[in-house]
Amino acid sequence: MDAEIYPGKVLPPVVRHISQVKINLYAEASGDFNPIHIDESFASQTPLGGTIAHGMLILAYVSEMMTQVFDSNWLSGGKLSVRFKAPARPGDTVTVRGKVNSLEEKNGVLYATCGVECCNEKGDTVIVGEALAKLISKGTTRGSK
Amino acid sequence: MRSGSNDKAITYEELTPGYEFPPASYELNASLISKYLEAVDSKGGVLNQVQDVPPLAIAAYAMTSMSRFLLLPPGTIHASQELEFFRLVPVGTKVNCQAKVARRLTRGQMRMLVLEFNVWDESGEIVQTGKATVMLSA
Repeated sequence: MDAEIYPGKVLPPVVRHISQVKINLYAEASGDFNPIHIDESFASQTPLGGTIAHGMLILAYVSEMMTQVFDSNWLSGGKLSVRFKAPARPGDTVTVRGKVNSLEEKNGVLYATCGVECCNEKGDTVIVGEALAKLISKGTTRGSK
Repeated sequence: MRSGSNDKAITYEELTPGYEFPPASYELNASLISKYLEAVDSKGGVLNQVQDVPPLAIAAYAMTSMSRFLLLPPGTIHASQELEFFRLVPVGTKVNCQAKVARRLTRGQMRMLVLEFNVWDESGEIVQTGKATVMLSA
């Protein structure tokens, strides 16, 4: 895998359609019932003008893209730093994209630094940031039951 | 981020830098993770091929466990997130979460909280760390 990772490499995008049903499902699954996500009558009275998806739901798609490329080197050893720039709303189709910006060695481990971005169908940036994944690892650390 | 309504919930004014939330423990059981995977559209996807808990699920539950103790206005939103994944844990693992207030910022009408959390597994090994900035509605 490591030889396939190089600066400039474009990561395969993840595309997801956002619906209120999906947002409600995420609220149930995560226990995050903030009305800005699930209560249209409340959300419509706020400056956001309607319900929005949980930031952590959209971030899960970013993680999915990183997992597809880096697998366990992302899931154990990955690092993420993002800003939520705009809300994702029911009806939006969001696309997560990423690109390897650089390869760096730190303490004998090679890391890929990737720029990550999630945009809606209008091109508005929903999430922007950076993700770091190990490229050379001496074995994945795994917890035990 | 969830607006808390717990009996022990504290308000924004009481949240000073260094404030530590009561520790929380939760089991990342199969039913919880299955529900999570369905919600993030990953049923049958890449995350389902492994018997490990997706790190973002751990982060989501850590955030929720923190918010149980917060009485924040409805409409509070997530402004930024940092995460570092140290260790994969299998489904069924019980994890412990400790969170604290790192910063509290007020800029004009805008109020923000920076919250840090650490998640450990049962053997005391660090699983994940995170830092979330949340913006409170006026």
